[in-house]
Amino acid sequence: MRVPLKDKISGQHLEENLATFTGLLRQEGLPVGTTEMIDALYALERIDIASRRSFKTALQATLVKSRRDQAVFSRLFDHYFVPVEEHRHRAEEMMIREEEYARQLERATTELQFKGEDLQLSLEELGQYSALSAEQRTRLQDFVRQTENGHNVEPRFKPILENIVKSHLRYCRSRDNQQNHNTVSTGNADGAGTGSDSPGNDMLREIDIEMISASDLPAAEELLKSLSRKLAIQILRRRRSGPRSGPLDLRRSLRDNMRFGGIIFNLKHKPKRRSKQQIMLICDVSASMKSYSTFVIHFLHGLHEVVRDLSCFSFSDNLEDLTTELKGRANLKQLLDRVIRHSRTWGGGTDIGAAIEGLAEKHSDRINAKTTVIFVSDTKTVKLDQAVIKLKKLKERVKRVIWLNPLPTDRWPDYRSVGLVAEVVEMWPCSTIAQLEEVLTGRL
Amino acid sequence: MTISLQKLRNSFEEAGYICDENTALTVFLALELQKPLLIEGAPGVGKTEMGKVLAEILESELIRLQCYEGLDETKALYEWNYQRQLLRIQLNRELGEEQIREEDLFSDRYLLERPLLKAIRSEKRAVLLIDEVDKCDPEFEAFLFEVLSDFQVSIPELGTIPANNIPVVVLTSNNERELSDGLKRRCLYLYLDFPEVDKEVQIIKAKVPGIADRLAWETARVVAHLRRQADLRKKPSIAETLDWARALVSLNCNCLDGKTVAGTLNILLKTRADQQTFKQEIGIDGIDKTLSQGGNGGEICGCR
Repeated sequence: MRVPLKDKISGQHLEENLATFTGLLRQEGLPVGTTEMIDALYALERIDIASRRSFKTALQATLVKSRRDQAVFSRLFDHYFVPVEEHRHRAEEMMIREEEYARQLERATTELQFKGEDLQLSLEELGQYSALSAEQRTRLQDFVRQTENGHNVEPRFKPILENIVKSHLRYCRSRDNQQNHNTVSTGNADGAGTGSDSPGNDMLREIDIEMISASDLPAAEELLKSLSRKLAIQILRRRRSGPRSGPLDLRRSLRDNMRFGGIIFNLKHKPKRRSKQQIMLICDVSASMKSYSTFVIHFLHGLHEVVRDLSCFSFSDNLEDLTTELKGRANLKQLLDRVIRHSRTWGGGTDIGAAIEGLAEKHSDRINAKTTVIFVSDTKTVKLDQAVIKLKKLKERVKRVIWLNPLPTDRWPDYRSVGLVAEVVEMWPCSTIAQLEEVLTGRL
Repeated sequence: MTISLQKLRNSFEEAGYICDENTALTVFLALELQKPLLIEGAPGVGKTEMGKVLAEILESELIRLQCYEGLDETKALYEWNYQRQLLRIQLNRELGEEQIREEDLFSDRYLLERPLLKAIRSEKRAVLLIDEVDKCDPEFEAFLFEVLSDFQVSIPELGTIPANNIPVVVLTSNNERELSDGLKRRCLYLYLDFPEVDKEVQIIKAKVPGIADRLAWETARVVAHLRRQADLRKKPSIAETLDWARALVSLNCNCLDGKTVAGTLNILLKTRADQQTFKQEIGIDGIDKTLSQGGNGGEICGCR
């Protein structure tokens, strides 16, 4: 039964709270519009809002529209909509924490002094220092003392010392962030979600492939496997075409309707042309691409398990055909071994032009109007201008050329090669698994 | 027909559709707000079944639109009966009747209703199941917007046709491709995951009459173990679990062991690659170990 919200809770501002909450969801990237918010308010009128579970489910059903976003929603909901008792408890805890924090800052200021003067550190840096373990703090204090007591150390050394301390604190923070990330990304391994879509993998999707640590590799490989299957489904999906999908076949229509005295009674259509996609994946395995290439090879292997008609190459300063290995059903280990240890291309310099030339000379039978060529490369190459000319020529011969660039987009303007290549072919960033997924499932 | 949350829960149970509180509440809200319900999840978790069960509960007609690539409005919305129109013109000419008007030719008589139009024009509130919406083209997805937001369709020759009764719309998706924001915005969203072991036991008991408690529990446990531990291309769905449970009952099994599982594995795992994965990653010993852990969930079995 519908009960207006004002009758359910008097003197409170649920609408305002909800608006703030949706604002938070938007900040986290969830596409929550006014329609969703109105839906949520209507939904709340129809449930028992005293039940936290019902309240959460109603908001989730109306505000969140994908599995991936559910994890973000859940986290924010638990932080934002807190029971009164819990809220009071948190406020008390917060007050205690703030007092403790103030004490820590004071202690930090006293501990980090150079010749009786405070080091000029920001509050954030002092906070970072306080968050260090006792052992790390002692080590840093010792370093400051030793510097202070060194020979010929003058007060003008203070800014240098400050810079050293600041960089050390920055290093500690980035290391801790990385550790925290690892904990988060592996923390859900035993969760209820059984698919690779489980929210625990979301962090892994979003971080730069180069930053994926060894402990995260198995989870990342799982993600890539699931991605290759998704792409395979897209490629192999049976195209059912309706009887009228093709253009009108006038000749057949006339011939068929002669028995009706020439009245066009049954229309005949030409069958829809079914073109089979041919995909050619060309992966840069030069020194600058090493960490990405390993991932791409994982992906390639997963994809080849489900799509047989796939040509794969690796290149650095020349081109190497991996298709035979994949067709020979080499397992992943054998393939990596083949590429990394025995390959002539692995870890070399890059010559994109030479690779394209090799492709045109030796594998011209695979280059035709049905072929989609996917390059995975950061575009850093010798003989750039020649490479661009050859790329243009290749583009004319094939259906489509897609360039997956593992460099983050904000660094693209720094490289002339990126601009030149992007002028010729469509280029998409693929520094994270999420980006790779978006390109391969959405753009292909 | 309006239905309370409690009644909906009970009706799901009576219809043998075991679901959790969140699922029931989301469906209830979709019914109350008269919004389409978009259900996503792996194949075989009960998305399509939800549409069928809702039709049963609401005592409505189930109108199903199976999506596929190339689906267009002639298959989904309406089509003019071209042959009949031609015959009418021809007959008119032969019989020397008065000249036929264009409006007569483009009238209800010559209109072939397809699922969407049928659901919109239904005299009684129907359940419209748009199955596997992720398989249709993005253009068709955009075409659905008008139906899903305004519950009306436009036919150039007839004008705009509003719904007689707003249908209950259930869309399912296997998440093979990302659906557009426009479509999602018009729907309430529900993600169905594979059920927990105890829920699956309930499903098995509801759908496989006569199954021993212990067998039901062990079946659910093995299936959950396969879904979680083995790197399978296609994880066993609930439908496959039920087929397997039925097969085990017909083989007079009261409990499971590694050998029985290995012998009947082809009911659960339908590809050679997945069967190989099972052998390599779990095997008979793995199943025996799983079954020996965590209690038997039921009575002591003497059939081993």
